[in-house]
Amino acid sequence: MKKLSKLLLALSFALSITSSAFAVTVASWGGAYTESQKLGYGDPTAKKLGVEINWVDYSGGLSEIKAQKEAGAIVWDIIDVFAMDTITGCDEGLFVEFDFDKDFPAAPDGTPASQDFFTTMPSKCAVGNILYSWNYAYNTKNVKGTPKTIKDFFNTKKFPGKRAIYKSALTNLEIALAADGIKPGKGGAKIYKALETEKGVNRAMDKIKKLCTDPKGGCVFWSAGAQPPELLMSGEVVMATGWNGRFFNATVGEGAPIKQVWDGQGLDYEYFVLVAGGPDEANAKKALAEMTSTEGLAGSAKYIAYAPWRKSSIGVMAKGEPWYKDGKTNMVPHMPTAPSNTKNYFLVDPIFWADNGTELGEKWEAMKAGL
Amino acid sequence: MSSKSQKILTTDGIPLEESLKKAERKNKIKAFLLVAPLLLFLIITYVFPIGDMLFRSVDDRMVTNMLPKTFKAMEEWDGKELPEEEVFAAFYLDYKKLVEEKTFGKLATQLNFEKNGFKSILKKLKRKMKKFEEGNYKEQIMGVHKRWANVEYWRALKRRTPSYSYSKYLKGVDMYENEDGKIVQVPEDRRVHKILWVRTIEVAFFVTVLCFLMAYPIAHLLATLPMKYSNLLMICVLLPFWTSLLVRTASWMILLQQQGIVNDFFVWVGLVTDDNRPEMMYNKTGTYVAMTQILLPFMVLPLYSVMKTISPSLMRAGKSLGGTPFVAFWKVYFPLTIPGIGAGCLLVFILAIGYYITPALVGGASGTLISNQIAYHMKSTLDWSFASAMGLMLLTGVLAIYWIYNKLVGVDNIKLG
Repeated sequence: MKKLSKLLLALSFALSITSSAFAVTVASWGGAYTESQKLGYGDPTAKKLGVEINWVDYSGGLSEIKAQKEAGAIVWDIIDVFAMDTITGCDEGLFVEFDFDKDFPAAPDGTPASQDFFTTMPSKCAVGNILYSWNYAYNTKNVKGTPKTIKDFFNTKKFPGKRAIYKSALTNLEIALAADGIKPGKGGAKIYKALETEKGVNRAMDKIKKLCTDPKGGCVFWSAGAQPPELLMSGEVVMATGWNGRFFNATVGEGAPIKQVWDGQGLDYEYFVLVAGGPDEANAKKALAEMTSTEGLAGSAKYIAYAPWRKSSIGVMAKGEPWYKDGKTNMVPHMPTAPSNTKNYFLVDPIFWADNGTELGEKWEAMKAGL
Repeated sequence: MSSKSQKILTTDGIPLEESLKKAERKNKIKAFLLVAPLLLFLIITYVFPIGDMLFRSVDDRMVTNMLPKTFKAMEEWDGKELPEEEVFAAFYLDYKKLVEEKTFGKLATQLNFEKNGFKSILKKLKRKMKKFEEGNYKEQIMGVHKRWANVEYWRALKRRTPSYSYSKYLKGVDMYENEDGKIVQVPEDRRVHKILWVRTIEVAFFVTVLCFLMAYPIAHLLATLPMKYSNLLMICVLLPFWTSLLVRTASWMILLQQQGIVNDFFVWVGLVTDDNRPEMMYNKTGTYVAMTQILLPFMVLPLYSVMKTISPSLMRAGKSLGGTPFVAFWKVYFPLTIPGIGAGCLLVFILAIGYYITPALVGGASGTLISNQIAYHMKSTLDWSFASAMGLMLLTGVLAIYWIYNKLVGVDNIKLG
């Protein structure tokens, strides 16, 4: 039976593979984000190497690539993934392990790649792509006064109205603790230490529960990145957590009356992985090196406010300001890594979530179900 | 006379009986060949995937095969205190082999489903193991991380001993088998599946009731109006039916949100004040409204097709025999529509119980249903065996409802058109 189902899967993938053979296929999240990748480094790389690069959309997670591998017909070469998935996929042998300094070019000043990236990679299979932020924003027309800190997000007395928060526990617990008075410490270490204990988890859950059941507050849970700015603009909520690039696009791109607050932000990373045994592994490897070069990563920041992983890319951007595609907006201050934005922040810890995601997820759902 | 001589022969001398049988067999083969593609289709798209799912949900051979020595050493262990040195030593040898084969990642993922926190201590063990000295593995392993000295983790490991287990089904109803072999509930703050099952059934039930209450008069109107009006009405029923599910869900979001059109209208006519707009979205109300509207055609169409066949003279006869309009309706018309009601309710209920997108978009906190949880385990946690188990539980539920319906009303009575 297993063989037959494998055969079926293989057949269905074989049909889809015929359309994408002899090209590097990159799976990413779609929307404005994929657009920035395609224009920023996808197209230039394709031109330089003379290889076609196809972009396909997916909605995250390893289920699809696992299914492709089980069927024995892998159709993706490169995937844009969360840190947690690079760890799981690397341990399970789905992705290629890198020899980092050999596989990726050094910065223009000669700094080896491993030194040029902001931090070390979570696994041997990952190469950094962007840094983004889980911060919050408000609609300036609907809020009286100016929220400045993460505490204000939970302060319904001073700023009454509903809040939009992410649908699952990820980053919500951290934000709740930061707002409850825990100083994040270096990279958020203190927050995660608190979350290792039952007491800390309950403290965070209670904080969220209090906000959601507050008659002056209340919660809307968002699931897609486009929702937070939308909910703010329609007036459905007064404040929303979200991804900084989406807020930036709404504010600078579309002129919405939205303002971001960087206090207590969670810095998170996005990575590329190279699929082991992908349809065009050799070319994919070359393309990946090109895409994650200093110039390449700086290129995508022209189109979206996510920070390139390489320090040297920020240098390129600063020299080229105004870097945004409209030709008049300076991009560096909008980066989640800018010094003014990282006064109080935590780094989202993939290892913590890889370990505790399931259990905290269950607790979170149970808490939500009781709202 | 012997019976042989009674046989009637065909012109070419073969007994008629045999010749007939032959012809019949040919027809049977032909008939079978005609339905063979359908049969094959059913086997490939239903029987195999469901069989595969069933197998996945109980199959735990992978972990059993990964740690053969450990499980053997654990046979004697009663699960009360930390296991003895021999268990640690066996585990060390098993795990060392997995690290060499580079398959330890799969073990880590599986064990993390059983008990959170396994992933990182296994990885830490992998790093530290290289410097291990021979002998006294218990102390060395426990020195890697304090969780290795926690008996809970060893109990979790022991739970994965059998090659086939029904533990995923227990997890689906928030239970587990503890070290004494008793089936107990998980801690209260982690009981989420039961809530979701109850909520799923509740939502499906009320959506079915709402659909029925709305669809009955509509279908009646459709069946009794003159052709030119009923056609127009029919288009009104079918048009949303042909529109994409996502589009319809999104339009409800625009209509129902607090700053939405419906609320704006309420404020405009003075029904509510501007700062006191009712919440009609991101809660159960939103789920009910959107799902009822989306599933309505599935109720209207079977009802309509049945009502169309009921002769109007029956009602007239009922009334002329002395019944009030209500009695005539209740005793004559209504029983005749039961086949349509059965078909419609069954359809709507079964569709509603597996609904996914709409509750996820408009349901808010109280809107997640069991199918959302299945998707979560398929996509995020990658616990496919658990997702399979819950999928099968849902399927069993649907079959049970079908069975009850068959006992109460009879499936033969269903009429779709």
